[in-house]
Amino acid sequence: MANLDLMKGTLSLLILRTLELEPRHGVAIADRIAQTTRGTFKVKAGSLFPALHRLEQDGAIAGEWSLVEGRRIKTYRLTAAGRRQLASGTRDWARVVEAMRAVLEAGSS
Amino acid sequence: MIARRLLGLWRTLRHGTRLDADLDDELNAYVDELVDRRVAAGEGRDAARRAVLVEIGGLESVREEVREVRMGRWLDESWRDVTYAWRGLQRTPSFTLAALATLALGVGAVVAIFSVAYALLVQPLPFRAPDRLVFVWADQAAEGYPRAPLSGPELRDLDERATRFDGFAAIWATTAALTGDDAPEQLRIGLVTSDFFSLLGADAGLGRTFRAEDETTGPPSTILLSDAVWRRRFGADSAIVGRRIDVNGRPTVVVGVMPQGFRPMMPPDAAVPDDLEAWQLFNQRFVEGPRGQRYLRVIGRTRGGVAVDDAVADVARVGREISAANAFYGAAGRRFETVPLALDAMNDVRRPLIFLTAGVGILLLIACINVASLLVARAAARARESAIRVALGAERGRLIRQHLAEALVLGTLGGGLGVVMGAWGLQLLLRLTPDALGRLQQATLSVPVVTVALAMVIGWMVVLAVAPAAQGTRVSLVAAVRDDRGHTGGRGRAHLRRALTMAQLALSVVLVVAALLLARTMQRVLAIDPGFTDDGVLSFRVAFQGSRLGSQEAFNALSRRLQEALAAIPGATGAAAWSHAPYDTVPNWGGPYVATEGAEPSTAPQADYRAVSPGGMELLGVRLREGRWFTETDDTAHAPVVLVDDRLAARTWPGESPIGRRLGLDPAVGGTPSTWATVVGLVQHVRHRSPIADVREQVYFPARQVPRNPSVYLVKTAGDAVALTSAVREAVREVDPTLPIYDVRPLSAYAAQARALRGFTAVLSALFAVAALTLAAVGIYGVVTYAVTERRRELGIRLALGASAAALIRLVLRESATMTLLGLGVGLAVTAASASWIRGQLVGVAPWDPAAIAGTIVILGAAALAACVAPARRALRMSPTRVLREQ
Repeated sequence: MANLDLMKGTLSLLILRTLELEPRHGVAIADRIAQTTRGTFKVKAGSLFPALHRLEQDGAIAGEWSLVEGRRIKTYRLTAAGRRQLASGTRDWARVVEAMRAVLEAGSS
Repeated sequence: MIARRLLGLWRTLRHGTRLDADLDDELNAYVDELVDRRVAAGEGRDAARRAVLVEIGGLESVREEVREVRMGRWLDESWRDVTYAWRGLQRTPSFTLAALATLALGVGAVVAIFSVAYALLVQPLPFRAPDRLVFVWADQAAEGYPRAPLSGPELRDLDERATRFDGFAAIWATTAALTGDDAPEQLRIGLVTSDFFSLLGADAGLGRTFRAEDETTGPPSTILLSDAVWRRRFGADSAIVGRRIDVNGRPTVVVGVMPQGFRPMMPPDAAVPDDLEAWQLFNQRFVEGPRGQRYLRVIGRTRGGVAVDDAVADVARVGREISAANAFYGAAGRRFETVPLALDAMNDVRRPLIFLTAGVGILLLIACINVASLLVARAAARARESAIRVALGAERGRLIRQHLAEALVLGTLGGGLGVVMGAWGLQLLLRLTPDALGRLQQATLSVPVVTVALAMVIGWMVVLAVAPAAQGTRVSLVAAVRDDRGHTGGRGRAHLRRALTMAQLALSVVLVVAALLLARTMQRVLAIDPGFTDDGVLSFRVAFQGSRLGSQEAFNALSRRLQEALAAIPGATGAAAWSHAPYDTVPNWGGPYVATEGAEPSTAPQADYRAVSPGGMELLGVRLREGRWFTETDDTAHAPVVLVDDRLAARTWPGESPIGRRLGLDPAVGGTPSTWATVVGLVQHVRHRSPIADVREQVYFPARQVPRNPSVYLVKTAGDAVALTSAVREAVREVDPTLPIYDVRPLSAYAAQARALRGFTAVLSALFAVAALTLAAVGIYGVVTYAVTERRRELGIRLALGASAAALIRLVLRESATMTLLGLGVGLAVTAASASWIRGQLVGVAPWDPAAIAGTIVILGAAALAACVAPARRALRMSPTRVLREQ
């Protein structure tokens, strides 16, 4: 499951979920995902930043610049549209999981 | 969603460097933080940095990927949508071909007709600052001549008194003989004032146009050639400028050649043809000529910045001033009308063109509706696919975008094909154009027209695609997966398709009614009795020159010899001469007539004058009401006589016989009715100026008393007129080999030409109507077929339960009948609402002509019925068991 290509779109969902509680910057988002999935997903910069920018372009998240210890830091927060996308994504995901479970279990009996 | 993407793309392109700097900051901060973390864990800073960079796989590749997201995402997805749409279209080739053909037809028609309309109505006249050019008419409505030309003194008055104008110039069309080494030839000449071309702002292609010093007090000594004559007669010799050529037997200097395609573009009723062959100057003294001698077609150029209203008021003021200053104008005075040249020049084609433009616009809309309706059907067929994809997490917006992409792909491809077809159609149109629409030849495929046509088709496709697409994504997953199409999403779509088809029917009703009305008009025009017959008559023009014009006796002698030689041709039953061919307006000939001596000439009614040789009226079958025809003794040795038409008689001597009455006339066009002649015959009015419009009263002079040169000779035969051509040429050569004869053609060609514009419009609108009706029928076919398929279970069960074939057919027909009736109703309502629009194109037919309306109903009904045949057969052939097993 560590191969993120397998589940396209999951990363967006994970990012949105991560930002639901509070705005974070890149490293913090990656940390948070790694932490909550207990290391199953190690998001690399090559996936993280394209995903962030894609979400930003779609208007699901918004980036804000701030100066921390002399460094310009870009922090992302969830927008209303992002919140909606997260909700529908979560529902869809649950449905897929349910469907997969049904299929897999039906196969075994 | 698309808008936001576009905005994003725009921003990316515009602020690319700033975004790059931001991205660098963001990534550096990321790397620094990770490095800090490793340093805190005890690694060396350099080693830590290397490790971090290895871990993230290089900063540059990350940067590249983010940039790709920003730049490429929009393009990527759009491209993916397009390729997806294209693949989808490839999967259903028959649908795609039908849709593309439909759209290409619609766009092609739009491109062809819009090109013409653009060239004639939108593009400025090909002169310098054409919006400052006006045409000035004298209003003689009281004398039956609302748009009359001006006289020399009136032109001078305008020049001297008007303050809002740079100047005025005039033109008058006549003919002149081109003689010399080659066969003599009669040219259509425009006599102009020396500033005519400079005022228009038209330059010579070779040499120069006229200058004030070219003017003479005698016959013109200079000539300006048209490109056509220069090529035909002088082999495009560029050394022609400055050479002397023989015009009317006088050596005349060629000052220049007008460029190819130059047309004076005077209003159609100005009797200045666009295909003039050469130009010469008026005699310098023409401005002194009688005030009542009206022949000048006057154009003016306003000063820069002068509004049209001001120019109109300025000319009107001059009219009032000269009316007050000249007793000639009587108490009523003279009014002048000023009209922008651009408006007046296209007077006769404006209406038909607007009509055709609207027609093709409707046709394109119908084509788009048809394709959209096919798309709806496809959307229905894909309902399951869509529902499943939505369930699997496809964004709804994405689905709508795919429908849009499909519409865009179809619209673009169809539009592209359409432009090709349009270019081709335009060529065809130009080849079919009647001479009356010669100006159409300026039409070319232009960027604005192509842009508008493509925008129209793509715009319609997008608009029409959004509706079904929005509906298509609202599909309920459960229903679709259960394949319960007939009862859920399908129903809404079926309604939509019905509505679209109904709209299509309504639009085709409008076009069919219009086509039938124009066809009826054509029928009426053909049925109008012109007062003469041109069957079996060959005509040609001839101009006498030199000594043959020296005296009336010499002229008459040659005329008689020519007439006798022509009548002697085997197969000929008679020959005669007229001053004009029917529907001839060049040279225009007419003037006032008065019945009492001393009557005020300026307010005298106006008549068309024609000169006819003995036997001429009889040869054309003109009907004599009273009195006698002309004879050979009606010559200079005898008292002047005339024939008049019944309109003149009714106006002048109501209820009394005109025979023996005397009329004061002005055959020499001197401005005053000074020639008195006795009326010897009353004839039925002859429609020799217009096949439809009621024009002026008519006076016929005997050609032996009032000669006109050149004139038209007519040879009557019981057989085919054209077969006489070579015999006629031979006969003329035997009489005098130097006589220039030209325009040898059957007389009926003139009438055909006069009706050509109307016929052209009628044929084009009929083509539109057929195209629209075909498209609408295809629409009905689609809807009914779809309905039958939708309800095949129900129909199958009914069949199984023993429903009769008749009942099934009824079901199918009901589907079609509802749409047809609704479409008819709406279409007729629209037609009624736009009645005033088409009225101007109709002759003797009301916009709500019962026959046209009834015809429309029958045609539409037949088309609707025909569209049902295949679906009905399909319903009947259905096997109940198979249908029921299908689920």
